[in-house]
Amino acid sequence: MKITTDTASCVASGQCVLLAPGTFDQDEETGTVVLLTGEPAAGEEEAVRQAELTCPAAAIRLTGS
Amino acid sequence: MTTTEQTPRLPFSRGNALEIAPDYEALRRQAPVSRVLTPAGDPAWLITSYEEAKEVFRDKRFGRSHPAPEQASRISYAAVQDGPSGDFESEEREHKRMRRMLAPAFSAPRMRALGDRIAELTDRCLDDLQAARDADPGAPVDLTDFLAFPLPVLVICELLGVPYEDREKFRGLSERIAMMDGGEDAQAAMTEFKAYMTELAEAKRADPQPDVISDMVAVQADDPTFTDDDLARMGAGLLFAGHETTSTRIAMGTLFLLTDTARRDRFAADPEGQVAQTVEEILRLTATSGTGLLRYAHEDVEVAGIRITRGDAVLISSDAANRDEAVFADPDEFDPDRTPNVHLAFGTGAHVCIGANLARTELRTVFPKLFRRFPGLRLAVGIDEIGVRTNRVAGGVDRVPVEW
Repeated sequence: MKITTDTASCVASGQCVLLAPGTFDQDEETGTVVLLTGEPAAGEEEAVRQAELTCPAAAIRLTGS
Repeated sequence: MTTTEQTPRLPFSRGNALEIAPDYEALRRQAPVSRVLTPAGDPAWLITSYEEAKEVFRDKRFGRSHPAPEQASRISYAAVQDGPSGDFESEEREHKRMRRMLAPAFSAPRMRALGDRIAELTDRCLDDLQAARDADPGAPVDLTDFLAFPLPVLVICELLGVPYEDREKFRGLSERIAMMDGGEDAQAAMTEFKAYMTELAEAKRADPQPDVISDMVAVQADDPTFTDDDLARMGAGLLFAGHETTSTRIAMGTLFLLTDTARRDRFAADPEGQVAQTVEEILRLTATSGTGLLRYAHEDVEVAGIRITRGDAVLISSDAANRDEAVFADPDEFDPDRTPNVHLAFGTGAHVCIGANLARTELRTVFPKLFRRFPGLRLAVGIDEIGVRTNRVAGGVDRVPVEW
């Protein structure tokens, strides 16, 4: 599973970070998403799928399985 | 011939605090978008289905401002969510500025840092709950007085930099601005609320602290278009939104867990393991608003085949969308195993609740602590005896009497 994020459309809600803190973080200054790894961190596959579904800006894309 | 008599008028009545009005489902069966009258008696569109709610939340052609505010449908006679807000020409720019200004303070890293403090404040509230019980062992204790109300207030006070000692003052103001038939009194309370925030901002200007009001004051120093009135309104809005909504969720969440003993026991057996999903289910099912969230169409838009005209009011009912059976199987069932649980309790899109992380952090702290400490907690009255606040913008219940 490959993750890409679109920081331009990100609205800094931080829901992804709360769901999958090993995979996503937020920029301290702007609040926009920071991708910590291009693939889900260990044990966070399901949480990353949930993050894609819940992202209010649809700024998270998953490709592959 | 007029059809006004047949147009349903909000708010709809519901059976009890844990249910939503059956009218929502009845309307959704007819169409995802319905014509209704607001509590103030003006026409509006009501969105009751999940897909369309999500679509409108994410559609930039809907906003909180109105092209001709004096002609806009009015929702209620409260001083929040009552009608258009902001300037039609500059709404998007203003909104982006607000999000940029507030995002760091509400970010997940800041919430992680705040977590220990929230845990400490929760313990203190639970001590007070126990003390109230000890003072009069035979009588039930109202959980709203000792936990559901004070905890979110303590937390938002710390985050914004508002003195907790002033809580009775802004509790009163928050109640008055959100009375749907408040009228002149609601407006007077808003003026008083803004004056309070202006005074607080002046104190932060002289002596900045690591808090959100100081952050806003700092932004204002670099951006003179961000007026004192903007700052006061935003501060009051955050203080209001920061405590009413989470308070309601703590009260309702406790009700959901206590009205079914097996459900309570299951949660109490492994609170930390179950809390994340249990909180999402509480968020999904808690009906808070008698009207839904307000938007105005900024141009003609077609939604589910229905033409919404520029300037029309649109109310998005997250309460109804979150119980849409097209998305959630057995939508009225409390099912903490539900996955995925992509509810719209915080809205979605560019206006998604900025306090979502804060609310989740509080809720994920409070329920495990409550049920670790009081695993045998029970409701002292029947659910039907708990009054629902139908006249308040953020809804909520009158009381949650508990025993253990």
